[in-house]
Amino acid sequence: MSILQVNDTSIPDVLPPSIPIPNFIVTSFSFIWYHLYTNILRIPGGPYIIHYINKSYDDDPYRTWVEIGLVLYAIYYYLSKPRQKKGLQSNRPKLSPQEVDSLIDEWQPELLVENTELSKQSWRLASIPEIVDGGIDTHIDLTRNFGKERFNNVFNMASNNFLQMSKWPEVIELVKKTIKNYGVGACGPAGFYGNQDVHYTLEYDLAEFFGTEGAVLYGQDFCVASSVLPAFTKRGDVIVADDQVSLALQNALQLSRSTVYYFEHNNMESLENLLAELTDLEKKDKPPAIPRKFIVTEGLFENSGDIAPLPELVKLKEKYKFRLFVDENLSIGVLGATGRGLAEHYGMNRATAIDITIGSLATAIGSSGGFCLGDSVMSQHQRIGSNAYCFSASLPAYTVTTGSKILELLNKDTVVVPQLQYLSQLLFNFFTKDLQLQKFIDVTSCINSPILHFQLTEEFRRARFNYSSEELFETISTLQKRNVTDKYIEPYENEEKFLQHIVDTILTKHNILITRNTIILKHETLPIVPSLKVCCNAGMDTQELQSAMEAIKASVLECCTTAN
Amino acid sequence: MSTPANYTRVPLCEPEEIPLDVKRENEFGKLTSQKYLHQVESLHGRPLQKTIIDAPPYYISLLTYLNYLILLILGHAHDFLGVTFQRNKHLDILERDGLAPWYSNFESFYVRRLKMRIDDCFSRPTTGVPGRFIRCIDRISHNLNEYYTYSGSTTMCLNLSSYNYLGFAQSEGQCTDAAIESVDKYGVHSGGSRTQIGTTDLQVLAEKLIAKFVGKEDAMIFSMGYGTNANFFNAFMDSKCLVISDELNHTSIRTGVRLSGAAVRTFKHGDMEGLEKLIREQIVLGQPKTNRPWKKIIICVEGLYSMEGTLCNLPVLVALKKKYKCYLYVDEAHSIGAMGPTGRGVCELFGIDPKEIDVLMGTLTKSFGAAGGYIACDKWIIDRLRLDISTASYAEPSPPPVLAQIVSSLQTIIGDISPGEGTERLQRIAFNSRYLRLGLQRLGFIVYGVADSPVIPMLLYCPSKMPAFSRMMLQRKIAVVVVAYPATPLIESRVRFCMSASLTKEDIDYLLRHVDEVGEKLNLKLGSGKSSVDGKPQRWDIEEVIRRTPEDCKDDKYFII
Repeated sequence: MSILQVNDTSIPDVLPPSIPIPNFIVTSFSFIWYHLYTNILRIPGGPYIIHYINKSYDDDPYRTWVEIGLVLYAIYYYLSKPRQKKGLQSNRPKLSPQEVDSLIDEWQPELLVENTELSKQSWRLASIPEIVDGGIDTHIDLTRNFGKERFNNVFNMASNNFLQMSKWPEVIELVKKTIKNYGVGACGPAGFYGNQDVHYTLEYDLAEFFGTEGAVLYGQDFCVASSVLPAFTKRGDVIVADDQVSLALQNALQLSRSTVYYFEHNNMESLENLLAELTDLEKKDKPPAIPRKFIVTEGLFENSGDIAPLPELVKLKEKYKFRLFVDENLSIGVLGATGRGLAEHYGMNRATAIDITIGSLATAIGSSGGFCLGDSVMSQHQRIGSNAYCFSASLPAYTVTTGSKILELLNKDTVVVPQLQYLSQLLFNFFTKDLQLQKFIDVTSCINSPILHFQLTEEFRRARFNYSSEELFETISTLQKRNVTDKYIEPYENEEKFLQHIVDTILTKHNILITRNTIILKHETLPIVPSLKVCCNAGMDTQELQSAMEAIKASVLECCTTAN
Repeated sequence: MSTPANYTRVPLCEPEEIPLDVKRENEFGKLTSQKYLHQVESLHGRPLQKTIIDAPPYYISLLTYLNYLILLILGHAHDFLGVTFQRNKHLDILERDGLAPWYSNFESFYVRRLKMRIDDCFSRPTTGVPGRFIRCIDRISHNLNEYYTYSGSTTMCLNLSSYNYLGFAQSEGQCTDAAIESVDKYGVHSGGSRTQIGTTDLQVLAEKLIAKFVGKEDAMIFSMGYGTNANFFNAFMDSKCLVISDELNHTSIRTGVRLSGAAVRTFKHGDMEGLEKLIREQIVLGQPKTNRPWKKIIICVEGLYSMEGTLCNLPVLVALKKKYKCYLYVDEAHSIGAMGPTGRGVCELFGIDPKEIDVLMGTLTKSFGAAGGYIACDKWIIDRLRLDISTASYAEPSPPPVLAQIVSSLQTIIGDISPGEGTERLQRIAFNSRYLRLGLQRLGFIVYGVADSPVIPMLLYCPSKMPAFSRMMLQRKIAVVVVAYPATPLIESRVRFCMSASLTKEDIDYLLRHVDEVGEKLNLKLGSGKSSVDGKPQRWDIEEVIRRTPEDCKDDKYFII
């Protein structure tokens, strides 16, 4: 009792009965509050706001304070300046304006294109043949070295118009008729009135000829892969690719944003191991949705001339639930009894075996442009998702009518494709069975390839240029890792020059044009070695081909046996 | 004609049997009066003024967003119900046999649920020459554009859709003759890649002509315009180089830059102060992480922006490029041939020596009625690029008829063949573009771009007005192109008129009358006058517009340039 008494009296001594707020603050706040209150009441819905605040304050006073805090923070956030994005360049030094100016003055950029090695590589420019006074036919007139040398009636073993059907009179007639009716250019992309009836017809014809649900046309063969593949892949998708695919596919892989794995060239064991490993990995990771998975390869390899083992690939793709993407730029019109490409070569059904086929109209078919074959859902998606289709003008009308006509001719014809295959075999047998040549060259192409690829043997390369293909690839890889893009590798350059010397010898001595496989080292990211290409076409005379092969052999031997 | 068995396929149409002079007139209308010509003057190095962009009233923006909101909600509801109750109709977005769908539900939403509704406005099949008139193949849409049927009939429409600036899309005349002659001499096949066998004297001739035309030492031609850009940058750029790119640059440039691995910074479209700030900052900061200086910086712009009708501010760009030692790349896809006093593109229009610009790129599809693209530079650069550009060594070159078309149309523009014709074409496109632009502005429409741009974008805003406009125009036998997001900002859906020299003044009168009528119905006359010369909203009567504009449009004082 007494203790309570003491407490009761001691409180007023320590604390005043209320906090002393100056009178004018109280009155001014009441004044503001009064006017605010009446104003809020006046706006539509105002009483509800007041009612809400009152009620929520009654229920939970803390909530009101939190809400007021939030409103104030929102106002502060809205008014404050946006902060610099935290990017890679966030470590900004604090510099005075003078320092900035001097840094800008100091900066010396490199030249737009590198020109130090140009003089050493000008032989490449000089060696490009310029065909004069006529088209690119089996016999051509050409000049080289900027018009300084001229060769007439040269036997052309360098072009890839393998079937030669686009120069048949009925095709030429049709081309002229089409230009007379449609003009040359289509003057617009496919989505904006650029696709004409002839374009649709060729798409139907292609789909019918190859037995797929759909076909989509593109303006240039080189762009098809790098546009189609990225239209279906995104980050997290998986691509397994052959490690000798062409540059067009390398570009596609780079643009695909997906994780890319490589298997050894045409080695199905290596592929299976990789696929099994990836499947295990996926089982462990358990992604929320199945990623899109592709096996990417070529029908007839652009850099080596051999073909992909389709039956095994199909077995593996079915087993591991992958989709198969095949670049058939060179094999369309060449492989199979009627030129229907890789699937026909192995007697398989394209629609089920290959999910995406891309092909060229500019090689064996002898027109211009490229195309993509597949099921209808995939084809339809390209029309909105594939950049080279959406953002590029349609092909000129005459090129597509040519395409349709040649497919029609191929349907009826029983002579041209077998003739081409016969000549290809002749070419292959001659160069692979020759014992003298074997010491110096390796033929990498297969028996059905109309382009015979050969490169120098490892021993000869070692003896002559003192390096090996592995060393070349190692050098390229190190340069790539160091981000050096202008690759100049002395022994490689010498080997290229030597190969050009062979080409020159054949041209000057025998009036036959073959070509180096003109690769650009700075773009290539996969193992590659310099090689030569000898092409045949269905329009060639067997006798002439025979003597040309003899001549090439003699020149190769001559160049390889003379010391440099 | 189509048979019932394949009536869902686009039929192959036989050309109409019409007299030659009618056919000519259909492809390229004869000039009706010497008054309907306009000679473009060079700006003599004067930079562009800041463009004033007219904006619609707020309620229109609000309605546009609301429009999208409804479409999105309905789309998602549709998706949900469809996947739940109609699985077999949605197999394309579902996993099947352990394979992922070709595209995911989310990615394809916009296309499946929004674009699909107006799909009949796109990819209309045509036949014949896309000249003054274009023959559209009639089709009937079924099941919300799921498929179409074709009766085999066609409709001749006034062509405001093709990139046929100078009217070289013709099947009569010297260019067609040249193309046909080339078939006899060269065949149709291009042989193989340029560095192996594909270089012909025709290629070399065309390249020399292009180089001379654009005012550079040398040029290279490629068989596809998109491919020119997409495989250009990796020939000389790498991850230690920087590309400073206008935010509205074409996809082909973006793809090319991505392939090269170079770093990219973008600046706001046409914002030259922002660009200068960005260049200064980047020179000081250098490469990310390492802060080493960039190896080189290249500024990428387009001459004429095809969705906006705006120009790059070339005089300022050249000054900046010189001041900061950057390189300048100008993509003249739409401006070459179509702009400048003699058709030599934006350099000529601004009165700037082409030598000031490091790389001039352009396409041959648009003004020349051919196909493909070119790159023009100094000779030493082209020499290097001939060895380094992947397209030259790996891809097909341009085929002979296309090259013949390029050569003959170029010679026509220069005046080497058929003197006077090239000048007439240039003066006609200049007049036509100005007449339509000023006419639309006076009627009260919001139009973007500069006076001389042959691309005339007219704003529609609401996505639902796009199909309405396109279909109503088609009923009135006018073929137009409507574009929306993602090619434009979300709310700025527009119709893009592509002018051509082949149109006559009377054609444009016809167009204006119908646009006026349709515009009235669709409430498209939204111009606030902000971008007009006197600052007042313009709502002229159509007859008044047609009476006064042909004379007025030749005078710069009616335009804000």
